[in-house]
Amino acid sequence: MAPGVGLAPGLTSFLKSLKTSAADPSVEYLISLLKRRQIRNSRPCAIATAALISKVVGEFKGNDAARLLERIRQVGRRLTAAQPREVVVGNIVRRVLGLVREVVEDNVEEKLATGSDTGRSTPTQSQDLPSRPHLNSTISQMSPLRHAAIEPIETSAYASDMSDSTDLTKRPPLLTSHTSYAPSSAAPLVNSLFGLFSQPADSSTASTPTGPNSPDGRSTTHSLNLDRLVDLSRSQQYFDLKGEVMSGIMELQEELEQSDKQIADLAHEHIHANEIILTHTASTTVQKFLTKAAKNRKFTVVHAETYPHDNEATHEVLLTGRKQDAAGKTHDDDDKWKCLTELGIPVYVIPDSHVFAIMSRVNKVILATHTVLANGGLVAAGGAHLIAQAAKSHQTPVVVLSGVYKLSPVYPFDLDELIEYGNVGAVVPYEDGEFVDKVDVEHPLYDYVPADLVDLYITNLGGHAPSFLYRIVADHYRPEDTVL
Amino acid sequence: MSESAVKAAPAADVSVKAQNSQPVKAAGDAKDAKQTEGAAKDAKPAEGGDAPKKLSPAELKKQKAAEKQARRAQQKAAGPALKEQGSQQKDAQKQQKGSKQAPKDDKSRPIPVRRRPSQSSAPVTQTLKKEPKADAKQVGLFFGHLYSQPRKHSMAGASKDVHPAILALGLQYSSYTICGSTARMVAMLLAFKSLIASYQTPMGTSLSRHLIQLLGIQIEYLRDCRPYSITMGNAIRWLKDIIVKTDPSTPEIDAKRDLLDEIDMFIRERVTAADKLIRELAVTKILPGDVILTYASSSIVEQTLLEAHNAGISFSVIVVDSKPLFEGKTLARKLANAGLKVRYFLITGASHAIKDASKVFLGAHAMMSNGRLYSRVGTALVSMLANAQSLPVIVLCESIKFTEKVALDSIVGNEVAPAEELLSESERQNLLPLKNLLPKSHPASKEENDGEGSKPPVASDVLKWIDASKNLHHLQVLYDVTPAEYIDMVITEYGSLPPSSVPVVHRLRSEGEKQLFQ
Repeated sequence: MAPGVGLAPGLTSFLKSLKTSAADPSVEYLISLLKRRQIRNSRPCAIATAALISKVVGEFKGNDAARLLERIRQVGRRLTAAQPREVVVGNIVRRVLGLVREVVEDNVEEKLATGSDTGRSTPTQSQDLPSRPHLNSTISQMSPLRHAAIEPIETSAYASDMSDSTDLTKRPPLLTSHTSYAPSSAAPLVNSLFGLFSQPADSSTASTPTGPNSPDGRSTTHSLNLDRLVDLSRSQQYFDLKGEVMSGIMELQEELEQSDKQIADLAHEHIHANEIILTHTASTTVQKFLTKAAKNRKFTVVHAETYPHDNEATHEVLLTGRKQDAAGKTHDDDDKWKCLTELGIPVYVIPDSHVFAIMSRVNKVILATHTVLANGGLVAAGGAHLIAQAAKSHQTPVVVLSGVYKLSPVYPFDLDELIEYGNVGAVVPYEDGEFVDKVDVEHPLYDYVPADLVDLYITNLGGHAPSFLYRIVADHYRPEDTVL
Repeated sequence: MSESAVKAAPAADVSVKAQNSQPVKAAGDAKDAKQTEGAAKDAKPAEGGDAPKKLSPAELKKQKAAEKQARRAQQKAAGPALKEQGSQQKDAQKQQKGSKQAPKDDKSRPIPVRRRPSQSSAPVTQTLKKEPKADAKQVGLFFGHLYSQPRKHSMAGASKDVHPAILALGLQYSSYTICGSTARMVAMLLAFKSLIASYQTPMGTSLSRHLIQLLGIQIEYLRDCRPYSITMGNAIRWLKDIIVKTDPSTPEIDAKRDLLDEIDMFIRERVTAADKLIRELAVTKILPGDVILTYASSSIVEQTLLEAHNAGISFSVIVVDSKPLFEGKTLARKLANAGLKVRYFLITGASHAIKDASKVFLGAHAMMSNGRLYSRVGTALVSMLANAQSLPVIVLCESIKFTEKVALDSIVGNEVAPAEELLSESERQNLLPLKNLLPKSHPASKEENDGEGSKPPVASDVLKWIDASKNLHHLQVLYDVTPAEYIDMVITEYGSLPPSSVPVVHRLRSEGEKQLFQ
């Protein structure tokens, strides 16, 4: 819980404290950091959330997928409530939730496959099919019999474990189902019935058809009973749920680290020689992208400084080639990249008001982003809308660089909710008391850029049209997780 | 040096009469100073260019007194147009006084009036030294053609024929103390008035011929301080025209009086009366409940808003502003002091500001003949946003700002501002800790190894780093061009027009002038 010694509270201190403290205090710590805005911007938030969730999963006891989902969801709910505008926090939580579901699904499928191979209880399945397609039959054919046969001791241990914890979560139907069937090795029908009843209590979102979500074209019938399967997995101790989820989170963390590099690798496809490129704010992603291109192309960068909230970071990046607070000291080695000017790329810093004047000579606009929304619009640092609109009126292509982790399944129904307002003192210093007193000074930190102003998104998966983003969203998130 | 020639001309304006007497004295002093200076020059012809630096303390004092007087006269004269810079100007004066009390160090002679938000305490000598270096660095993207020579921030090297009032005015231009195209034009005409009032035709030449030459020298000096505005160009053309047309047979006193009268008339007709008409017309466009958005600061927009407020219309104002001049701050302050409800945004928040606005009022630097608006940089962005939201964009503009020039973009014709203004003093301060992070190849990081801890870092070091890193440039221009399709209406003293009517009005106006004098 205690922040690292001699460190300002922030991502670095959080990651350090995560090593020593338990999950719950860490959750509290991250919540307070988020609330105090000591961790801000997409990448640090994503890294912190992923690290925290992996801790939460690591400390999770038992092998109950539904409870794990509920636990993650509960943590996620608190984190997003702490800072709703850091949409990335919710994204990461949703990604992990999707991961858990996928792990369960995969295993159940495997199970199904093996089950049908052996031909066990196929008659029951075919009997049930006409009346209640697939659902109960799967469950009945699957569960306790087999696992009881394989790991009887472990099961009972888990079962007792679970009955305790389910008590805590106060879901009586589940509790009874567990205690009733787990020890007895042959009660398939009872189980299926309980599964039936427990379903609505379990997850209300289960009714939404999940067909289009299964990324690898899994048969719709299977994904239809996803939540049922999750229930089922509670009694299925034949696979290492935690281990697989943890490795999934590791992959996610790796993706967070790699996404800039992967995006940068696409640079050569998008930047040609002698271009004039306009960009804004101090974005690590954009800087790496341009640096990569600079290795063997010659072009010119015009950099709007994004006064007053990001100007210092902008100058910092341009002078030193790195951002101090970006990923903290732990990632120092990764974050060392040569600054553009070192590579012989002329960089012109302009105030934001010059964007229109310069735009007629700019070949391409590259924007950094805070969050990308499912409709193809994006939330980016203040001034982004100006730039995109000016580019539109000059028919200059606008390219947005964004890691997939910034892609959110949220639709911008209420734009004002997404916009954060910053310290007014940065606009007019408080020394000017008379002015601040009489004039209503406002300092919006972010701009919403509608999808029609963007020509291309480049994510770590490649380039996409804004109209295609919903597809990528569907690939990465489950609709049942959209509302945490 | 007889002063008899200058009898305060019977000016129509009482206030103008009062102003005339002071510059006369000032001019006299200056001429004395010039004489001795000339003598000094004769003695050391090799150092002709440096002559002003070699002045004796007594002469210096005299010259400074003269400048100060001229400046005061100007402040009074420029009146309403200058009010907005009031506080800044006071500061400048304070500084000037400070410099006078300081020991007279002839090396750093320039008067440190150059004071702007971005440069509060940096000593002037430093900026002077740096300027040639900035030139050595490759300049300006596609703005290279606009970098001619750095702006002049001192009177050093000015021709001896430059009138003290003009000398002072030049410094006020270069320090943005007098800013805004109308204010600059009025201030210039008033300075010309004091020049004309103290003018004496030398033997063997005519007033019209010599005065035009003299005027040319003044204009050149002013242009060195800051490129002149469209309005100034228009006014200069007009003034030269009437000087040329002066009948050589009229006695000098009468001719000068006529000229002074003409200038007064010009200011009254083209600025004071025009402003009044525009104001009256524009106020009718403000309806109760309106939210008027304006960008930066325009004196005519300000007058209009205040008049509407005084007329009892209830409306609120959003001021959008941008660095580095923060002109909108002054406007917002004045409007708020008058009791208007004002919201203040920077340009990065403009897309949020525009959502709440119902009309956009803009000032102009000039209206181009192809209907485009040439105004403070950022105006185009604001009008683009307004256009995207289908808000009416109304430009308030005196017809003196109309020009026959055309512009397609903001690049061919523009004014480059000194790049170091991009970083304000506090920003530089905040960037200082970066020193250790500078890349190894950067000269500044080596420098640190040499003299470690010898001196604490100064805020202006940041500028040196930027200068030293050879690919990093700061770029700043002052104006941009707003496409005509973003502008819905131009309100001038002739009425409300679409932007496409600008050339028509300009032509009628200039034809009318011609007829007037034929």
